[in-house]
Amino acid sequence: MTIPIVPKLLRAHLSELSGKNARIDGRSQWEGRKLEVEHSVLPRAEGSARVRMGDTIVLAGVKFQLMQPYPDRPNQGGLMCSADVRPIAGRHWEAGPPSPEAIELGRVVDRGIRESGCIDVDSLCIIPGEKAWQVILDLFAVSDDGNLFDAFALAGIVALRNATLPAERFEVGKDYPLPVSKTPIMCSYHKVGGRFVYDACAREELGGDERIHITLGDDGNVHSLQKGLKGIFSTEEFTEIMTNAQGRTKELRKIVDSL
Amino acid sequence: MGGYGDMQMIDENGLRVDGRSPGDIREITIETGVIPVADGSCRMTWGTNEAIVAVYGPMEAHPRKIQRQDRAVLDVAYNMAPFSTTDRMRPGFNRRSREISKVTKDALESVVLLELYPRSKIRVTIEIVSAEAGTRCVGLTAASVALADAGIPMTDLVVSVASGKINDVVVCDLNKEEDNYGEADLPMGILPNSGELVFLQMDGNLSQEEFMEAWQYNMDAAQVVHEMMVEALKRGDSQ
Repeated sequence: MTIPIVPKLLRAHLSELSGKNARIDGRSQWEGRKLEVEHSVLPRAEGSARVRMGDTIVLAGVKFQLMQPYPDRPNQGGLMCSADVRPIAGRHWEAGPPSPEAIELGRVVDRGIRESGCIDVDSLCIIPGEKAWQVILDLFAVSDDGNLFDAFALAGIVALRNATLPAERFEVGKDYPLPVSKTPIMCSYHKVGGRFVYDACAREELGGDERIHITLGDDGNVHSLQKGLKGIFSTEEFTEIMTNAQGRTKELRKIVDSL
Repeated sequence: MGGYGDMQMIDENGLRVDGRSPGDIREITIETGVIPVADGSCRMTWGTNEAIVAVYGPMEAHPRKIQRQDRAVLDVAYNMAPFSTTDRMRPGFNRRSREISKVTKDALESVVLLELYPRSKIRVTIEIVSAEAGTRCVGLTAASVALADAGIPMTDLVVSVASGKINDVVVCDLNKEEDNYGEADLPMGILPNSGELVFLQMDGNLSQEEFMEAWQYNMDAAQVVHEMMVEALKRGDSQ
């Protein structure tokens, strides 16, 4: 990823807007962009989703493989989550092995899903010590206009919830839906012009400072946190965005449940 | 080319496994402007193939050693997403995708007026998010639509179609089963206005007569697909 030059004018403009309690695209501080979520959009994937937030578009695809359980956990299957942002998604993303930014994206989404316990890895075991399912969630950015984190996390959980285990193709029984018991949801906040805003667009990311990602489970419990980029924040600031995340994740979970 | 005709794929009425006649192509949809942050883009479905293409540029060519003083360079990358195939595709480049990237670049460089943008780069990224058979054809065709959507001057669009042979019958636009069990595959990249070619590959076994029949199927299909491409570009322009 080439690091774009941050125009001082953009930073000054964002700071001025922030003073007037305004944002560059006309939204209020905690307002998200227009959201579209679809599932079962990829014919070759066992589960899939497409999420659009403003001009950010991502795909998620679930595939399954048979694996030998790890020796220390003979009764468990596996979950793997990887994100790739290829040059298709924006002019600053470059070809080559996954960049540190893309790896961070995949790992933060992975932790939210894994730690929520939404996938029961014990249920993925077919023959203890010999054969188990490995669930592979691949996240793919089509258009990056900011906040790929939330788009990936949302597409990921929707794709998992709509996945079917291809047992017949692997000759280990009948096909059945992947049991997903919980719905972890991520909310991301960026410091722009000296204050945190929800769901930053690309220009806010470019002219902003640090970011914080929060994943909350069904009961409001925290499952993953990540602070990214250079910047300093206070306990008060964190408490404020945590409160906002509690409300916003509930709204998003309702959307996911209604699909 | 797998089974060499040991599987019956043409029924007694001369119809194929998916009900098509030998000269029929699969269903196609084309949409432009699908990537808001790109300068030009195209989403094309062809059967259950789906390609998404982004065009960025003309932009600064870096590192500087890739710059050409008299023309732009095209940077073409073809890639299959991990969830695009029945068995998960390991991410990253492989020999197949490198070759397809190269021949696609060679085809597109033949039509783009590169000399209008010296020292710059035009980036064309082809992502296959769902693969059936003939992804290189879908990728190349969609790439030419995306270049047109980006307003890059070209002498013509490129339509890419493949014909082949199954059970000794020449058929147009092979689907997955036909590609797996077929006896030949002839993908071509055609300039629909002149009937000239910018891309040609073939593997398998065809007689002179069969070869000419497959060639003509591709030429005829190119005209049909070209109309859909023009229509999609006009529709995209009016939005």
